[in-house]
Amino acid sequence: MTSTSKVSTVANKDAVHRVLLGKKQILVTEEEPLLVQLERAGIHVEYQCREGYCSSCSIKLLWGNVSYPFEPLAWVQSGYLLACCAIVKSDIEIAFFD
Amino acid sequence: MSYSTFNRKHFDSTKEPMFFGENVNVARYDQQKHPIFEKLIEKQLSFFWRPEEVDLSNDRKDFQRLEEHEQHIFLSNLKYQTLLDSVQGRSPNVAFLPIVSLPELETWIETWSFSETIHSRSYTHIIRNIVNDPSKIFDDIVTNDEITKRADSVSKYYDRLIEMVNIYNTMGMGTFHIPGKGDVEVSMPKLKKALYLTIASVNVLEAIRFYVSFACSFAFAERTLMEGNAKIIKLIARDEALHLTGTQHMLNLMASGRDDPEMAVIAAQCQEEVRNIFIEAAEQEKEWATYLFKDGSMIGLNAQILGQYVEYITNIRMQAVGLETCFNTKHNPIPWINAWLVSDNVQVAPQEAEISSYLVGQTDNQLDDSDFDDFDL
Repeated sequence: MTSTSKVSTVANKDAVHRVLLGKKQILVTEEEPLLVQLERAGIHVEYQCREGYCSSCSIKLLWGNVSYPFEPLAWVQSGYLLACCAIVKSDIEIAFFD
Repeated sequence: MSYSTFNRKHFDSTKEPMFFGENVNVARYDQQKHPIFEKLIEKQLSFFWRPEEVDLSNDRKDFQRLEEHEQHIFLSNLKYQTLLDSVQGRSPNVAFLPIVSLPELETWIETWSFSETIHSRSYTHIIRNIVNDPSKIFDDIVTNDEITKRADSVSKYYDRLIEMVNIYNTMGMGTFHIPGKGDVEVSMPKLKKALYLTIASVNVLEAIRFYVSFACSFAFAERTLMEGNAKIIKLIARDEALHLTGTQHMLNLMASGRDDPEMAVIAAQCQEEVRNIFIEAAEQEKEWATYLFKDGSMIGLNAQILGQYVEYITNIRMQAVGLETCFNTKHNPIPWINAWLVSDNVQVAPQEAEISSYLVGQTDNQLDDSDFDDFDL
């Protein structure tokens, strides 16, 4: 039997994950993209299109998993996530500019 | 080699690089090497808009009430944007179509350029509405020093590439003496380098150069002034956000070597030069902000704040193409601008909110008797 590390794209309604950002910790669910949940927590994230094509909300993903319900049009650099459409799938750590 | 509008060779276009492979023959989209360009075309088509849909009657009154230095800010930005879209409405076609090798990318280039011509037409729509003699504004674009300085920076990479491709298409490879230009060496690495630098400079044009004017337009609109203009700028900003994604894809595909291994080598060699293109543009935009505010600032914006915004946005754009950021500004000094730039719900006519993913011509052919229930003769 083989185990797969592939991240499920189905939203787990009850799942809550921790997002670490510097010294802050925010709890997020899988029901909405990361961007809106960060904003609700009072964190300013750069954005423009909010639908995955402008890449303005690209944030560094230091570790952890995210998935995209649809493939974004913007190029997502490896080690980054697009906050406007990424669904957090595990505890993650993110960072803005160095 | 010379360009052919219908290449007779039989080849598999999915094996060609984006540029400098075979000339495209059949415009077919059933098989694609880079399906992203087809997706960009679809998105761009769903964005279609016409300047005339936006009512500017209040802008004329607003403009007359602006202070003189605010009129200078407004008109200067309009002139600069007119310059940028004059270049962008033609140059991708002239520079890239003769060398493109994938049908989906060829069509993206044409779709992209076409949308820039809508922007150009919208500037005429705005200028006609606010001044009695549009010629005064348009004529100044080719004589105003501050604008012409920028015209050189935005067109020089395009012009160099076009010149080299022209020589390549008529003479082939080699070193040629061109009257007035001296010896010009044409080789595949030189052509590819000229192409890579051109795409980087186009990315800078669309991803950084437009944003100073965007900020000023939205700063007026924050004060409920020139709101028709702001609606048009919102539509333009939505298009530009898509275009910059197109050039980011081209640059990243090239640098990754996934498209053309030789291009990856060239991208690595050009990294410092590309960094400098970004930094030079940012410095020019900061200078432009100083020129805009030379006679006075506007509420909520001054040259310093705009300069910081330019640095901030330049960092974001550099990061998006895999470059190290180069400015210390880590926060957006004008975060309110994002609420104006957000494009998922750009309102055109007051009675209808246009959803950007809405596709014109989508009809529902599924009908049954119940659809006529509330229909009386």
